[in-house]
Formats: sequence, structure tokens, C-alpha cells
Amino acid sequence: MLLTYLEAIRQGIWEEMDRDPSVFCLGEDIGIYGGAFKVTDGFIDRFGPERVIDTPIAESAIVGAAFGASLTGMRPVAEFQFMDFIGCAFNQITNMVAKTHYLWGAPAPLVLRGPSGGYVHGGPFHSQNPEMWFVHNPGLKVICPATPYDAKGLIKAAIRDNNPCIFFEHKYLYRRIKGEVPAEDYVVPIGKANIVREGRDLSIITYAAMVHTALEAAEVLKNEIDLEILDLRTVSPLDREAIAATVKKTNKVIILHEHSRTGGLAGEIAAIINEEAFDDLDGPIVRIAGLDSAIPFSPPQEEHYLPKIEDVVRESRRLKAY
Amino acid sequence: MATKKKNSKHHSNGNRPRNNSRPTTARGETDALVRPVERSSISSLNQHLRTYSIPDLRQEHPNLTVRQVSEKHKDAPDHVRYEVSGNLDAPVPPIRDSQYLRKQQAIEIYRFMLLNRKMEVALENLYKQGKVVGGVYFGLGQEACSCASAYALDKDDWFAPMIRNQGSLLVRGFAARDTMMQYMAKADSPTRGRDGTSHFGDIEKRNMVSPISMLGDLIPVLSGVALGARLQGRHVAVMTYIGDGGQSTGVTYEGINFAAVQNLGLVLFIESNLWAYSTPSEMQYRCKDLAERAIGYGIPGVIVDGTDACQVYDAARQAVERAHRGEGPTLIEAKMMRMKGHAIHDAAAYVPKPMFDFWKKRDPIARFENYLVKDKKWLTPKENAELISEVERIIEEEREIAVNSPMPTPESAEGGVYCEEGCHEIKPKYGIPKVKKGTGVGYKQTEAAVHLK
Repeated sequence: MLLTYLEAIRQGIWEEMDRDPSVFCLGEDIGIYGGAFKVTDGFIDRFGPERVIDTPIAESAIVGAAFGASLTGMRPVAEFQFMDFIGCAFNQITNMVAKTHYLWGAPAPLVLRGPSGGYVHGGPFHSQNPEMWFVHNPGLKVICPATPYDAKGLIKAAIRDNNPCIFFEHKYLYRRIKGEVPAEDYVVPIGKANIVREGRDLSIITYAAMVHTALEAAEVLKNEIDLEILDLRTVSPLDREAIAATVKKTNKVIILHEHSRTGGLAGEIAAIINEEAFDDLDGPIVRIAGLDSAIPFSPPQEEHYLPKIEDVVRESRRLKAY
Repeated sequence: MATKKKNSKHHSNGNRPRNNSRPTTARGETDALVRPVERSSISSLNQHLRTYSIPDLRQEHPNLTVRQVSEKHKDAPDHVRYEVSGNLDAPVPPIRDSQYLRKQQAIEIYRFMLLNRKMEVALENLYKQGKVVGGVYFGLGQEACSCASAYALDKDDWFAPMIRNQGSLLVRGFAARDTMMQYMAKADSPTRGRDGTSHFGDIEKRNMVSPISMLGDLIPVLSGVALGARLQGRHVAVMTYIGDGGQSTGVTYEGINFAAVQNLGLVLFIESNLWAYSTPSEMQYRCKDLAERAIGYGIPGVIVDGTDACQVYDAARQAVERAHRGEGPTLIEAKMMRMKGHAIHDAAAYVPKPMFDFWKKRDPIARFENYLVKDKKWLTPKENAELISEVERIIEEEREIAVNSPMPTPESAEGGVYCEEGCHEIKPKYGIPKVKKGTGVGYKQTEAAVHLK
């Protein structure tokens, strides 16, 4: 069936709650209101207020409570109204949840999910891509799907995973893209990247909304440069093999992400390429990323801050000619 | 340094005494009547003036106040120090008889308190012998609070200690060697060397959540444990602790409020031990008693003498039973003093000596020993001596085992970051949650009523 990205996530959580009584949801305004973006619309009628819990505006308490419940064998799915607010629970996530299994051997099967990303003029506190805050924390799995198929398969995989998973939903994609999603139960494995476009000339390594930016750039360049696009799908743990394989194939690589350049994922991927495929490079590793500033509010400013199709086209031509 | 005190003045940086502004009580000393606003012409006219009471089980109400004073010296640099005022010669009150504790239970708590203290003495010696990695944290003066509180829990209940609750671990069935090996970073320690102190847990048998060093984060976590159990059809009590310093954190508020709103069986001990590292409680909060905070959360609060094991047990047991009945959280403020520095490196020179003298007379073990041997005659002096030597023998055996555990291999730093395939089987601890399914058939195909589309 053809579903939007948002519907795919909703269906994934719904099916897991139907399948497994230990799954429950908690978060701000997720019950009768159905969530700020309506991801959990209708859940409270079906699963009841015991399993669809509206919480106080207290992100540390939401994460703490989800973690505590997970210690009793539950599988909580906690919603952040916007992923920007995950900073309010930073200590709980990085010092409590992430270290639990390594330090004292307790599994923490919980999912923290919510909308992230720009291109919707949300301003500096409703447009961020805070995934890198957590990529640097061993013990967490960080997931950033780009398509309805992956979004549903990955949210189901995250709920079934025995580790804390942070699931970044790109709010620009929520209702803008539709994709074919099978009716039968399936999961998409966490930690596996996916080639969304095969190509010979150079590779774009990216994820989430930027996959679509890269695909559009590939369309623009189709008679000129044959782009290969690798959708990481999971940004922690990274699929090192897939990264190395695409570089070995095309020998030129652009890394594209929305968040700020400095300390961004591109730096880490460049290091992996250096370690795994240095001899295969025929040009410098190129980064296309957000500016090193907060995400500004005004549309012309936001547009300037964020990577665009033209950026990918321009950098692809430059690298191809190198 | 022979300096002559020229003058001293009280600082006005927020650490004003609280005791003088204590509202008068309608029912005498044991019930503090707390008014939302101070008595004034406005409030006396207000027909809707609300009053709340906080039960106070204590048999004395120490009125000591700490404040910063600046000393000007003629022939030396200025010096700022803490000064204590109040009745430092007040007599030590008797132990309050417990409503619940029988002879054998009281003796068992006393035994745990002895184990707690003697384990910490052993740790201090291990530190002096250079066998401890890092510092040692003590619960000296707080053994009644740690041991009698944990003793009030039932087997299926959960708890999480803070750094000074090493006695709680003994009560919940951990051996002294576990904590000792943690301090020595040994391979056989519960975290196999990966963390120290009381930072370990056990979700299988002893239902203990490992603490982290950041204060207050356990409170929502324990609330979540109660939530998880309730979804599985069980009302469990979940006990944890926070200090008068730690309760200043925002997550403390979030956690208690979450438990209150969700009516979860949190039993939160606020261990008011007067010093948060080097900062006196006067500089942590402005209300008279932290138990008053319970009023703001809309939950019961109670004050106990943290050096009186019977009071601690009774308040804890009542809170645990409330939790078992599904009646929600309880906040218990236990008043006592941290009788050592923050950790072993800290000589606590900033604490005015008369405060140590005052609280030394209220040593929880000496008081309980006196109660059991002299007041109740539940222990003969001979039995008491035998008990003490048995505890010493156990600690010596435990110390021996702990010392002889090897250090972990360097490579054991690796692995275990993630729960891998076959590592844990996760299933609801108290049974499969009973699921009620409504007739809701799915979501409405609505557009989101949001401004960011």
C-alpha cells in the first residue's frame, strides 16, 4: 500500500503495540490529541490511556520513566514533541541509559522518537538535527530513515531491539513523500545502509531528507554524471562495509548532511574512508553540510544555511572534474 | 596562626536562618503547620487560607543554623568561614518505639548497621593500604537511614542507592565483598571493574537499579520501574534516596512530579545530612524543611530523625504499604548529619566543630545499641558483644575475599556496549501485561493541526 512517511511510522508503532503487550507509548500530548504531528492519532482509543500516556512537560522524567519501565521488561516508546527538546534529557540519555549495559549489564529496550530536521522554517529550536549528540555515545543506536518503507521497518526493528534506540523522524518528509509499504510484517535491520541509486562516477553518502536532495541532484546530472547514492539509514552504528564498498566502486565521494559541518558525521565517515579505502580515492573527500551556526528562522536565511540540490550538483561537477 | 578577631558580620547571600521564620504550629511541636503565605494582614483576611500539615516523628527539633561569617583580622588576611548557632547542648532524645518492629527485626537492623559501619572502617583501612582505586565515600552517621529504610522493602520491591547508602545494599542481600571489590576495581566486582562504589545493580534477583553520579536522575527511573510493574498488574514500592544537595536538581522535581501525577509507588528519602560536599543546607534551599516540598507535589511528606532506626523504619514501612495499595508516592525527609567529609580526601574542615560534637552524641548505632541493650533489654551485653564480634569476623572474611580477587585484564574493557543476540532474554518481570483493546480501529486521515507542515 502507498503510505506517507508519517503513516508508515504510525503503522509500525501500531502493529508493534498490537503484537506485543509490553510495548507502550509515553510523551507530551500523545493521547487524546494524538501528538503534535499526529503520529499517535487514534492510539488512545485503541490501546487505552494505560498504554498511551500523556506526561508532564518533563523530558528527563519521560526518558527516566521509559528507562525504568524497560528494566522491568517493558518496551516503551517515548515521543519527543520535537527532537530539539531531547537536550532537556541529555544527562538521562547519555549518562544513565547509554552506559547501563556496559557498566552493569542491564539491557534497556526503549525507543526515543520524534521529529527533527529543517526545511519547514521552524526556527532554531524546532529544526535541529541533534543526532550527532548521540552518535558520540556508545551504547545508543541512532536511526534516521529516509523512506516510508525504511521508516516502518526501522521503527519496528527499534522497538524489538534490546538496546536504547533514538529514532529521528524527518518532519519535512512526514507528509511530503509517499512510498510503497508491504502489508505483511517486516523489519529493516538496524546498522545496514542501502544503495538507493546505483552509479559509476561518484558516491553521495547521506541519510534522511538529504537522500531526496541527492536523488534530485542525480536526476539533474543524469546525462552528465552517474551518481551512486548510499542511504546510511542508521548513523550509529555506522555500516562501515557499505561506506567502504561504495568508495571502492566509484573512487570519489561526497558526504552530505543537514547538521553543522564542524564535528559532523562527515568527519567521522571521512575517517572511516581513510581507514578502509584510502588507496581507492581519486579525489578529495567533499563535505556538504549545514553552516556552523544555529539554524536561522527566516526562510531565505534557512535556505542559505541548509544544503540544497544546487550544492550537490555544483560539488559533484567539481569533484568529477578533479 | 595567632590572629585576633576584630569583627564578624553575617553574609546576606541568601543563607539567612530558617528557624526563626518557622510558622507557629496549631498542634504543637510534632506537626509543622505550613502556610502558603506568611502570616500577614492579607492572609488573615483571606477566607480561603489553606493549611497543610507535615507529620514529624522526631522527638527533638534541633535548631542549629549555619551561616557564613567574614572575619576581619588586623594582622592577617580576611577569612570567611562557617559558623553554627543554636542550642548545641540539647539533650539526646530517646529512640521512639516502633509501631512495627519486633525484637528480632530490630536486632537484624542493628546488625546491618554494624555491618555497614565496619565495612566502611575496613574500606578506610584498605584505602590507607593503597588498595582502593580513587576515593571512599562514607555513610557515617547515616547507617540507620540506609539500613532501616531498605529493611522496610518487600522482596519484589525495587530500590536504588545513592553513594552513602552502602548499608542498603547489605540489607538487600549484597555481600560486603561486592562493595569492597567495587572500590578496589576488581575483576570479580559486580561491574567487573567497569565502575566503582555503590554503582552497580541487579534487575534479576535483588531489584536494584545502579546509580549514576549525577544527582536526581534515579527518581524518574524508579518511578518508571513502578510504572512498568503496574502495567504488568503489580503495585511495587520503588525506593530511592536524594540528599539535601541533590534535591536542588531539576530532574528531582521532574521525577517526583511524574510519580505524583501517575500515582506511582515511589518512596523517596531525602537524606538531609546538612552538607552537600562543602555547602551547608542553608545555601541549597529556602524552605524550613524539605518535607514541605511534598505539599507542592500534592503527595504525603513526613519528617523523621535519620539517626533513629525505628522512626526511619516506621515511615518507610508506611510509605511502602501505601505504594503496595497503589496509593502513590511518599516523600520522607530524614534529618541527620554526614559525619565525615564528602569523600575520604576531604577532612571537612569547613564544618564547625560544635556541629560534629552535637551529632556525634546522636550516633545512630550508639543510640540503637543503647535502646536494644538498656531500654528494651532485647540484647544482653554478652549477646551484643557476640554480635559485634560476629560482624567483625564476617567483614574480615569478606575483606580477605575482596582483596584476593584479581584485577581485570586490560582487554576486559572491551565488549558489552550493546545487548547482542543471545545476551539477554527480555520479558515482563511480573507477567504479561493484560491488554485491553478498545474499539478504535485506527487513525483518522486528518491533516496535522500543526504550523510546521
